[in-house]
Amino acid sequence: MTDYGHDLLFGTFTTPTVQPVRHAVDLAVVADRAGLDLVTFQDHPYQPRFHDTWTLLSYVAARTERVHLSANVLNLPLRQPAMIARSAASLDLLSGGRFELGIGAGAYWDAIEAMGGPRRSAGQAITALDEAIRIIREVWAADKPGGVRVDGEHYRVSGAKRGPAPAHDVNVWVGAYKPRMLRLTGRLADGWLPSLPYFKNGPAELVGMNAQIDEAAAAAGREPAQIRRLLNIGGEFSPTGRSLLNGPPEQWAEDLAGLTLEYGVSAFILMADDPATIEIFAAEVAPATRELVAEERARTAR
Amino acid sequence: MTGNYGHRLEFGTLVTPVNAAPDTPVALARRSEALGYDLVTFSDDPGQPAHLDTWTLLAWVAGRTERIHLAANVLTAETRPPAVLARSTASLDLLSGGRVELALGTGDHEPRTGLDAAGATGGPARADFDALGESVDVVRAMLAADDPAPVRYRGAYHRLDGASAGPLPAHHIPIWLGGTDPRLLRLVGEKADGWLSTLDPAGPDAVRAGNKIIDEAARAAGRDPAEIRRLLNVSGRFAETRQGFLHGPATGWVEDLLPLVVEDGVGTFILITDDVATMERFAREVAPALREAADRALPAPLPRTAQRSGTVRAKRRPGIAYDEVPASLTGGAVEPGDIAYSRVRSTYLRGGAPGLVLRPRTPAEVADALAFARAHRHLPLGIRSGGHGISGRSTNDGGIVIDVGALNRIEVLDEARRLVRIGPGARWTEVAEALAPHGWALTSGDYGGVGVGGLATAGGVGWLARKHGLTIDHLRAVELVLADGRAVRASDTENSDLFWAVRGAGANFGVVTAFEFEVDEVGPVGWAQFALDAADPAALLTRWGAAVEAAPRDLTSAIIMGPPRLGQPAVAQVMAMVDSDDPATIVAQLQPLADVAPGYDQQVVITSYASVMANASDAPHQAQGEPISRTGLLTRLTPEFAAAAARLLASGVVYFFHLRSIGGAVTDVDPDAMAWSHRNANFHVTAFGRHRARLDALWDGLLAEHLHGTYLSFETDLRPERLTEAFPPRTLARLRTLKKRYDPDGLFRDNFAITPDTATRTTS
Repeated sequence: MTDYGHDLLFGTFTTPTVQPVRHAVDLAVVADRAGLDLVTFQDHPYQPRFHDTWTLLSYVAARTERVHLSANVLNLPLRQPAMIARSAASLDLLSGGRFELGIGAGAYWDAIEAMGGPRRSAGQAITALDEAIRIIREVWAADKPGGVRVDGEHYRVSGAKRGPAPAHDVNVWVGAYKPRMLRLTGRLADGWLPSLPYFKNGPAELVGMNAQIDEAAAAAGREPAQIRRLLNIGGEFSPTGRSLLNGPPEQWAEDLAGLTLEYGVSAFILMADDPATIEIFAAEVAPATRELVAEERARTAR
Repeated sequence: MTGNYGHRLEFGTLVTPVNAAPDTPVALARRSEALGYDLVTFSDDPGQPAHLDTWTLLAWVAGRTERIHLAANVLTAETRPPAVLARSTASLDLLSGGRVELALGTGDHEPRTGLDAAGATGGPARADFDALGESVDVVRAMLAADDPAPVRYRGAYHRLDGASAGPLPAHHIPIWLGGTDPRLLRLVGEKADGWLSTLDPAGPDAVRAGNKIIDEAARAAGRDPAEIRRLLNVSGRFAETRQGFLHGPATGWVEDLLPLVVEDGVGTFILITDDVATMERFAREVAPALREAADRALPAPLPRTAQRSGTVRAKRRPGIAYDEVPASLTGGAVEPGDIAYSRVRSTYLRGGAPGLVLRPRTPAEVADALAFARAHRHLPLGIRSGGHGISGRSTNDGGIVIDVGALNRIEVLDEARRLVRIGPGARWTEVAEALAPHGWALTSGDYGGVGVGGLATAGGVGWLARKHGLTIDHLRAVELVLADGRAVRASDTENSDLFWAVRGAGANFGVVTAFEFEVDEVGPVGWAQFALDAADPAALLTRWGAAVEAAPRDLTSAIIMGPPRLGQPAVAQVMAMVDSDDPATIVAQLQPLADVAPGYDQQVVITSYASVMANASDAPHQAQGEPISRTGLLTRLTPEFAAAAARLLASGVVYFFHLRSIGGAVTDVDPDAMAWSHRNANFHVTAFGRHRARLDALWDGLLAEHLHGTYLSFETDLRPERLTEAFPPRTLARLRTLKKRYDPDGLFRDNFAITPDTATRTTS
């Protein structure tokens, strides 16, 4: 059992479709009003049926009031790290500290190359992400003396001015599954953001991956609890319980509390494209899950 | 001196995107909007840590403004891959409702502080302009999403290898280039929509020299220099007395700026200021006075609305006075070269290429559109609500379309009487959704994407027909604009003969701008979908028909069949709605239907009418070609009809065969109560085929003898007998008399025209 003890976050993962144009905006407003913590959008810059994720996040930030926003996850290869850093800090400043940086090494290299981006091997992509995260953190460290210098294989920054600093400590969450990416997450990231449907054997697969992250964190002199474990989830509300995340809201709460207490997940991001699902998740599942987790944490603390 | 280029004179602001107080540039943008500026721009200096990222700020400001257009001034092209930039721009244009313009430049070329791997330093090199030119090409190719071909581009700096273009932006996004280097100016002349520079305080000489280079390059590239908007950043100070160029009272500013408009063709002045007082004074005292002074000084006043470019105008169709479109309609009008054209040209089932689509938002604008149509009687005229018309030609080739989609309000007039007022542009899915919270529903058609206007002037055979009648049976009043432009109200007590005609033959009499319906109390409903064995189609149809005719009025059903498929079992889809929330009642009423043939699959749910109608896509219609259909009404579903239908299906000519139940409450209404008079019909049958002549021959030979009357909405055969089938002699005679009174010259003629009773040639 690995509960890392974070407060729970609940969010949405909505398709950033361009048709209807305001689908993602409207559902983000629903999530914001319903009291969810997080609104996220996938980022596939080569996909013309989706909005540009950065543009959408910035626009949605302006149309919402409380909810935090993140890409899920940002596609690095078609964006420059220093630009990501300044854009992220800008959005965090404009939104009053509501931006988080979910980022990934990239996938679908044919499509990235078709858009004029680089083609990277798995190893190169991980090295590039490592360099990018270093550059981003260096740009944000506005108070450190001297310019940003990162002399990487993929990105070279030689003396760029630092800043702006974001309004709050923007979390860097990494989408990762393979050992090298998990090690990078443990070494560098503030959070790990995988998708539950990706695990063929269900949540049990989280155990081994958590261990790899924990090990890499320890090797880098970090507390494993510094790395929040987030999870994209899909499911269905139905009158009777059928399977994991397919049943009534009370069952969802039990399922999610189990994921927190047994597998250390402290952020649940629901793939949802309709307002009713988002509202049930916010009004019924989130508070019940929080209650179950709080009770159990209180019990074991005694 | 090059003179004026004839663009609408516009004004903008250039705001510094400081991040120390991030609300400040946002507030200045909102102030610019409130002051009536056309445009707000932000500088872009990616190396400047004291500034917000310009693109992020533009997207944020788009979310906090309603009307003002937005641009960077200017965006440093090389920090963003052009293909990604194009998608971002299209995205923001869609989100903002068409308010984004794209100004690109090479950057200021201070040492680049290592923002890119190349780490370029020093002044702009030739390579920078070449790369900028390539960026323009890539952005244009990526924005041209009406061309489905993957984008391939082999430049020296940018390469695309099969990227998918799109999304299609909301409006034509102009690309302006910013700078003064002669190489950039030539690029402007060759491929840009505008030139953006900053006025040299020493005077306008640089503007003149720049214009000369641009105009020469444009002509050399075969372009009209007037296509290129000239935008100028200006700064100055207001003072009591004149102290110098753009330093003095507002009158002095106007004197200083006027020659730039008249002699140097500047179309946009962008005021560089972060000072609200300067912004206000310029907006209130300089901009309007400069517009007036320019109109006085120029041979003709400058246009007040945005003008279409030469490339757009080149796609205009003959016979349309495009430049005489009424001012009220110019904003929403769409013509073939416009970016919105691919979204409006076609309908759900019909490909089209209209010459002009007018999109009125009020009854007065509908009257304006009809006046324009009256001046173009030589062209086809389509009236479109939801664009689902099969008989209704709501698109055409080279003609005019009046799209009333914007007249889409739904409001409750009288809660106690369940009286609801609905615009013709609302779609039935939206109507159902709006009525559901009241516990109400209005029977419509079977598809939620259909527009109110077309259906509620034709009939409306829907999922509650047997329980609650036709859609038009619920109509209590209409407001419509007649062919001569008069707006009238029609009900049982006002223009009652017109009210009679609109209910079944509305397309011939006017454009309805509002319907008033008395809707029904409808709670949860049973909704069933069965897949049944159709190996013996005649037996299946006969049994289905008998089950439907015997069913209580709660139940309304439809059956869909297709052609024989080699090696696969024949399957019919049966759908049914039961207006009851009691599971036992629903099951009892559905059982006889389920029993008409062995089943492959079945699904029964208790749901809402609104959920069943929530089956429509919001995507623009993209049909191609012409639908080919025949349709008719059936009193009884006899074994003889079923046998004929089975032969029709066996021919393979019909790919979609559709029967739906009418009867029930529909029969309660007096046949003379309204123009839709086939009150004894129990079924409506429709067949879609791919070959006009083959479908007509089989239909006329096999089915016609079993039919009594027709429902024109589903008919595409244009032979004149269809009209006499749709309207029995007494009804048709009355319609002809009314046509003579309300539309004697036949303006409304493209949806089964009724000829006035003075002419008798239609029924030969």
